Amino acid sequence: MAAAMELRCWGGDWGLPSVHNESLVVLAYAKFSGAKVNISPIDWTWKTLTATVPELVCGDTSVKEPSQILNFLRKQRFNADYELSARQGADTMAYIALLEEKLQPALLHTFWLDAENYANLTRPWFASHSPFPLNFLVPSRHANSARSRILLTRGEAPLCRITEVEGKLYSDAKECLNLLSYRLGEANYFFGNLPTSLDAFVFGFVAPLHKAHLRNSPLQSHLRKLENLTRFCDNILADYFSSAQPGLPPSVQETMDANLQKLTQLVNKESNLIEKMDDNLRSSPQHKLHRPQPKPGLVIEKSSTPA
Amino acid sequence: MSLAADAFVSQMAAAEPWPESATLYQPLKEDQILLSECASSLAVQAYLRMCGLPVQVVCKANAEYMSPSGKIPFIHVGNQVVSELGPIVQFTKAKGHSLSEGLDDIQRAEMKAYMELVNNMLLTAELYIQWCDDGTAAEITRPRYSSPYSWPLSTILAYQKQWEVRRKMNAIGWGGKNLEQVYEDVSQCCQALSQRLGTQPFFFNKQPTELDALVFGHLFTILTTRLTSTELAERVRGYGNLLSFCRRIEQTYFEDRTS
Repeated sequence: MAAAMELRCWGGDWGLPSVHNESLVVLAYAKFSGAKVNISPIDWTWKTLTATVPELVCGDTSVKEPSQILNFLRKQRFNADYELSARQGADTMAYIALLEEKLQPALLHTFWLDAENYANLTRPWFASHSPFPLNFLVPSRHANSARSRILLTRGEAPLCRITEVEGKLYSDAKECLNLLSYRLGEANYFFGNLPTSLDAFVFGFVAPLHKAHLRNSPLQSHLRKLENLTRFCDNILADYFSSAQPGLPPSVQETMDANLQKLTQLVNKESNLIEKMDDNLRSSPQHKLHRPQPKPGLVIEKSSTPA
Repeated sequence: MSLAADAFVSQMAAAEPWPESATLYQPLKEDQILLSECASSLAVQAYLRMCGLPVQVVCKANAEYMSPSGKIPFIHVGNQVVSELGPIVQFTKAKGHSLSEGLDDIQRAEMKAYMELVNNMLLTAELYIQWCDDGTAAEITRPRYSSPYSWPLSTILAYQKQWEVRRKMNAIGWGGKNLEQVYEDVSQCCQALSQRLGTQPFFFNKQPTELDALVFGHLFTILTTRLTSTELAERVRGYGNLLSFCRRIEQTYFEDRTS
């Protein structure tokens, strides 16, 4: 039995279990694979400044970065990709690369660098979830790292400004959303009927864009037009994160119900059979002398009576 | 480049046919070009050959500074200059030459996803090995990169470039990786490409696409470039179908012209 796993991540809001993309990826994967992790939000603690989020602590090992955490969970035999073929595993890697290269930069820009969204939504949220002196520091630190990440990975000339790459950033992200929408089609999940790690990544990246109350976002209005992607997010939220069913995901619940039904049917059949045998025995000549007893109600009692 | 300019360029491009005098610029082949630059340049050359568009390769010591985006390679066609594979694919498409026309929406999504996988993993790994592995940077990368310049400019430019690449690696979370982890990533990427290719001649069966050009550019360059250690090439050599894929594209598109 493995030690208890603790997941440090940003807390939830806007109808989501976490507002942070990478935290959300790990939370979704943990639900899909059935891993039991204790979630400890870093909100209102000094970890808002010091911790790298998300971080999985298990005993004395600590794992950072979503892909590393997912690998760690797989090694602990919490594998949501168990049924995928090698080709589907390759596809998973490719689509995750697509998300990281094309969608993530535009998301960082939408939440952290777009002046209106940053002032009205992102900065107030992260400031109000950080303890007193840090509330002045944490949001701007995130915004700076988002800016340098976009400039270093997408900036063309060394000294170019962010406005020069914005257009390309958003057209790439819209194309990426379109491609995901084509790939998903009318299916519930990307590979068949069970969610896998690719579903966790897509959910983690797309759900905050779907749920956040952004003042100004062409990307959000583009996402609203892709109905199957928004439905995909809503379904995962309802099936895995709704507070009404904190225990088991519905698919497991359903199979359990089905099994219970089968078991009841089997028991009924058997009890009928035993009853018949019992009647036959009673009508056999050596029992003729006994007077007929009233039938006992429970099957178990019957089977325990010596025949 | 802004979107309006993009649209303008593609409109302009559609008006003129592909000229005979198209040129592709890259750094000096013998003394200067680096692994990642050579891979990107070869990918573009393979793409243009697959389209049947003639291009003349010109080596210039200052190619990096001539390029509009600061990246290698770039092509000069008529009165337009376009750099990198993605924009070049769009540019040729505007001129009516496209390899991915026959694909449906899902296949196109898959093609784009695998192209990003190559950029995300192979290209980043090449950059990491070139600039962040101290042995390779000191023995190969910095001397080659600065070969056209005299001291002290050579030292300044080489260290400036190295600093820039290292900042990029830190920003995308590769700063904390060691060489072994990078090789492991390369293996995983090749494994995925090998699975996707299977026994088909090209990634989308009979017809080559820009994905085939990109994969060929990177793998062929990794296989044929001598570095301080052969580990990178060894990792690729483990996948038989990728090797025969490279050989097939080399024979089909490169050998008949040079002979």
